[in-house]
Amino acid sequence: MSLDDSAARTPSGPTQHHPHELRRSVGAVTATATSAGLAFAAINFIGVVSVATFALGSSAWLAIAIGGLISLVVSGVFSELNSMWPTAAGVRLYISNAFGVRFALIATFTYMSTVILVIAADAFLIGAAIQHLLHEPSALAYVWILLLLLIATVLNLRGIKIAGRVQSVVTYVVLASTTGLSIVALFKPGLPYPHPFAVFGNGALSGFQAIAFALFLFAAFEWVTTTAEEARKPQVITRALFIAPLLIWFAATVFSLALTHLVTLDAAHASAYPQLLLGSAALGRFGEIWMLGVTVLTAINTFNGGFLVASRFVYAAAREGNLPRAFARLNLRAVPWLAVIVLAVTSAVVGALVFATGEWLLLVAVGASLEAMVFAIASAALLKLRRTDDRVRGFRLRGAPVVAGFGLVLFAILALASGLSDPKNPKAFSPLPALVVLTLAAVSTAYVYLVVPRLHRAAAARRLAARASGEQTRRRPPRP
Amino acid sequence: MASWDEVQEALADYTVSCNTNERLRKMQRDWSRMLHFICSDTGDLFSMDVKAGEIISTPSGHVGVPDVVVTTDSETFCDMFWGDINPMPRYLRGEIQVRGSQEDIMRIDAISYVIWPDA
Repeated sequence: MSLDDSAARTPSGPTQHHPHELRRSVGAVTATATSAGLAFAAINFIGVVSVATFALGSSAWLAIAIGGLISLVVSGVFSELNSMWPTAAGVRLYISNAFGVRFALIATFTYMSTVILVIAADAFLIGAAIQHLLHEPSALAYVWILLLLLIATVLNLRGIKIAGRVQSVVTYVVLASTTGLSIVALFKPGLPYPHPFAVFGNGALSGFQAIAFALFLFAAFEWVTTTAEEARKPQVITRALFIAPLLIWFAATVFSLALTHLVTLDAAHASAYPQLLLGSAALGRFGEIWMLGVTVLTAINTFNGGFLVASRFVYAAAREGNLPRAFARLNLRAVPWLAVIVLAVTSAVVGALVFATGEWLLLVAVGASLEAMVFAIASAALLKLRRTDDRVRGFRLRGAPVVAGFGLVLFAILALASGLSDPKNPKAFSPLPALVVLTLAAVSTAYVYLVVPRLHRAAAARRLAARASGEQTRRRPPRP
Repeated sequence: MASWDEVQEALADYTVSCNTNERLRKMQRDWSRMLHFICSDTGDLFSMDVKAGEIISTPSGHVGVPDVVVTTDSETFCDMFWGDINPMPRYLRGEIQVRGSQEDIMRIDAISYVIWPDA
């Protein structure tokens, strides 16, 4: 019996229809804000600079438009997959039903590492921006990073999370503010726009790299599928998946046009806070403070959403026996405290590495490669599930074999292109981002093949020992 | 397939286990929700009214507007309420379907975890 068609009966006999409307459910506006808010982080400002670096002249806008169009393929793929399994555990379910439980675990563990990368990157970028605005010694940037992570950790441990409505307002304010300041900047006299259509002007590889970085600007918008269980209607998530990329595309495009209009690429490329440079060039000190405010606001969504998604994923994995049981321990506010602390410490370490090496652009390349890889896996999963799973879908992607097949090939190329990019030089080649991604995947694979079986064996042994000692038997009374 | 009497018996035991667990009551003190349950195999419906972490009542049928709707088969409900299974793997496999916020879903699992950590 399905939920929708049930004329359910009560145990006492009479039948009644119940719509199962939730008291608090998420509508299209909130879901769209969630989707856009998860994607639009402080690292996006650096991402726009990466696009502008790899696309020749002032063609970043075109690369972003192509990235936006490609993200609609992702919207279609995730909409259909989400309509099959509308649950927070969706990504795990899509991949495990298509390719098996082990591969799903490897993919999701690797996927979750992007959350740590984004949290660390945002902490670093916001710390650097605050330090710049206050004219403090550069070493103090790391103090700001630690302070931001500490605040986020304490709020999470205390179970304080930003309400959906507040998160929506924050997202729309961030997008509107970024767009507003960028439009003001466009009216200022500035640099010309040479080669506006030359995305591939630096060579084919650079062109693909520019598009991969452009796609990264939309990264994580698909995480809105984790809220599917609280959506008012299944279509809410589909709408969010198609509308949010448009909002991100518009804000990123106007920002890229304004940035290349008022700030030289060299200056933007050398800076961890190009948005502040744009604010300053457009409106002086006021513009700088404006963009710092926008940057800090992005952190609310990143830290709130990132910590919540990742710590609950860790909790679920520990409860399932795929991570040590300690990660499922809850404090008195029902927060998996060890998961939150480990996430914060890992983010602080990654943030320290970025701070020490100055390689913040590497995070963009790694993130772009990881995200494109996940999109390729999702496309492949849809292709497989179309052949092997005939369950009813609330949304069917038209021309799925062609669209998802195209997505699979394209995302694989983009993952490779960004993985082999030298973030500091569009004409050079560097395997470093790919090495970082491969290392993360290798660690996940080794963990799933070597550690997880041991955890499962230990859990089975514990249960056997408990039964043998008579401590734990089946509590349910046997049937007469 | 479990009978309605078996589900009720399991539910009664679950209510006692929840309401007498001090740590759980403290953890759930800020959690007040109306839960609806649907047995997908028998069509049986029941509700659970939780106020400040205490299960106030578990009437048959659906009462009020739910914060959470849980759907699975009657056997799984019985095993879950008796603490004989860990609900999380079944949720992750899609065998238990829940409508509600992620936070509420975690809270429901946390109840089982706190009462029966070795299930």
